[in-house]
Amino acid sequence: MTDAQIKAEVEAWLATNWTGDLPPATQQFGRDPRSSWLAKVRDAGYATPRWPSEWFGRDYTNDQAKIVERAFAAVGAPGAGQDRTNLWANTALAHATPEFKREIVPKLLAGEVGMCLLYSEPGAGSDLAAIRTRAEPDGDDYAINGQKVWTSGAASADYGMLIARTDWDVPKHRGISFFFLPMKQPGVEVRPLRQITDEAHFNEVFITDARVSAANLLGPLNGGWSVLQTALAYERSVMGDAARGPRSGAGGPKGDAALIDLAREAGKLGDPLIRQDLARVIGYRMLNKLNTQRAKAEMAQGTSSPIMSLGKLAMSRILHEEARVRTTLLGPESLLEGPDHPRAEDANFLTLNAYFTSIGGGTDQIQRNIIGERVLGLPREPEVDRTIPFREVRAG
Amino acid sequence: MAAVLERSPEILSTEDRTALIDQIHRLLADRCTQADVRRIMDSESGHDPALWRAIADLGLSGLTIPEAHGGTGFGPVELELVMEEAGASLLPAPLLSNALATALLHYCNHAAALADIASGTQIATVGFSGAHDWTGASDIRVSGERLTGTARFVTDAQIADLILIATDDGVFAVAAIETTITPLPTFDHTRRLADVRVDTPAIRIGGASAIKPALDLAIVALAGEQAGAARRMLDMTVDYARTRHQFGRAIGSFQAIKHMAADLLIEVESAISAARNAAQKLADDAPDKDAAIALAAFACTDAFVKVTADAIQMHGGIAFTWDHPAHLYLRRARANAQLYGTPNHWRERFIRALERQA
Repeated sequence: MTDAQIKAEVEAWLATNWTGDLPPATQQFGRDPRSSWLAKVRDAGYATPRWPSEWFGRDYTNDQAKIVERAFAAVGAPGAGQDRTNLWANTALAHATPEFKREIVPKLLAGEVGMCLLYSEPGAGSDLAAIRTRAEPDGDDYAINGQKVWTSGAASADYGMLIARTDWDVPKHRGISFFFLPMKQPGVEVRPLRQITDEAHFNEVFITDARVSAANLLGPLNGGWSVLQTALAYERSVMGDAARGPRSGAGGPKGDAALIDLAREAGKLGDPLIRQDLARVIGYRMLNKLNTQRAKAEMAQGTSSPIMSLGKLAMSRILHEEARVRTTLLGPESLLEGPDHPRAEDANFLTLNAYFTSIGGGTDQIQRNIIGERVLGLPREPEVDRTIPFREVRAG
Repeated sequence: MAAVLERSPEILSTEDRTALIDQIHRLLADRCTQADVRRIMDSESGHDPALWRAIADLGLSGLTIPEAHGGTGFGPVELELVMEEAGASLLPAPLLSNALATALLHYCNHAAALADIASGTQIATVGFSGAHDWTGASDIRVSGERLTGTARFVTDAQIADLILIATDDGVFAVAAIETTITPLPTFDHTRRLADVRVDTPAIRIGGASAIKPALDLAIVALAGEQAGAARRMLDMTVDYARTRHQFGRAIGSFQAIKHMAADLLIEVESAISAARNAAQKLADDAPDKDAAIALAAFACTDAFVKVTADAIQMHGGIAFTWDHPAHLYLRRARANAQLYGTPNHWRERFIRALERQA
């Protein structure tokens, strides 16, 4: 098919099927309220056109698939491009057993099941391969025991993508397996985790003798680390997409003006030291935006760009610095909180929530390791636990 | 006035631009090695006429001079890219002085002098007095028919043929031979400064309004120089951290070094983005060009100073020796941080530009 035919076909399909009246997507992780529309998109082959036809795909090339995505974007219809962005479905398609794949992939593409991530543990944060949640064979099932943390959407999830230790006598990366764990069962207890911002976006998940079928194992037994790498790569690409979208108050002239307006309101816009601070923070934001633009332009020309990997670390500095400047502008007003003191609420929230960026998804220190090693080519730090059996690794 | 300086984006394709940069890159790799830089900076004049001739032959002495006046006819975008290369090799040649002076002549509609500058036979520079005097110490006066006083810290004046004096009363042209030039002992040995005392008939070539657009171009050029130099300094440092071993490991494997390098990469990439963005905004005469230029001015300066300062620390003892190039870059960085205004000055200008935009 020519590009023009592909375009005409998808536009005709949208003209027939897309009515534009969908409930909004409620959250990133729960069941999707738009699932009947998403099922239609799936069955038409437009959710995953890059995939093979036996898996709801159309065997399209990347360029052909982009025609579909553009047509959907043009009318504001969701559901296309999931072969790039659907972390769950892509991971399942690549690694699940044929039996489980047939059951789960269609539901994932239609958002008919809620999902969550069961990776981090209290003792395995930056060092994710140090997980101690165990999976032990028991008949046709595995029995799971352990504790997971920083899990979004756990309360509404039907499945969690779980990494658990299945061999304690090999080095840490080689004894991990990857499961789709059913969440709605007695051995899975979800407790909201109260954050320093007094919100609760995440949960702790306590797993006690929960069961998962061997059919829900993704990849080979003890081969979970490489499955995890696939999943993390999709997660990063989704986060990258999200970062490219519009964000309220962040970056553009609107965000810059907001900080200047706050200084004016506080009667401090004439203070030369404040003006220096404002310039630094607004400058950081603009520079980060310019870096992202340049990275995209370089990638469009086919040059790989290292700049993309700098964004998160740069954003962490921006947020912490902006919080500091906002606090300086408010002075003693920042001692207060609550709905009657919205400016103090903003500054104090930003001060605390900046750690979400500088710790979550890889701390600034881990990001610097990644930049140093993968971008600048500096050698890795020697790891004392890389080659010894996990059972012998010191923990605490 | 002809908008030649603003029309560059259309005339050069990406391929042409890459070819231009390749040419200067090869020339500098061949003729501006560390040994060359040291030979030139240790010479009496701090200038290598043969190297300048080679640079002129590539069309770089008249890079932003319109073709009608014998120049190459390029704009801010190409100038910025050339300056990245010049900065990377610490080129001791009057490219910056020349770009500023030719822009000033251009905005004064004073084309007569341009052909000789474009051909490389004349070198021009600019001294400031009044509102744009970044030295705060110049005292040029126009009294009656005469121009008298001293313009301080004039770049490359010791080798200049033509000196322009930018004052609040307008721009004046003085033949170097009519002035008293006192070379200064500069901390940055690769870019010389001199005080220029004048007591000559006042030859006014244009109004004071020509100064700001010319300075805009010079700031873009300087930003590019700093971004390119900062990138080269970081590259050298990372190479060293990969190969220097202590405690049985490459020092770059230590997080104490690796994390500094990662932070410097943000500085370098941000500087390059800022310099190129400012060049493009100036070329487009964009409504937000003042903010973009001010941002490039302080971001590139701060980046270059931080990268060179940390680079010496990361190298350790070897970079404390005279023979190691790192201090030459630090010296250039610290000198540039004063030239045409400090980072604090440009941060203030940045906020003023944003206030005007709002």
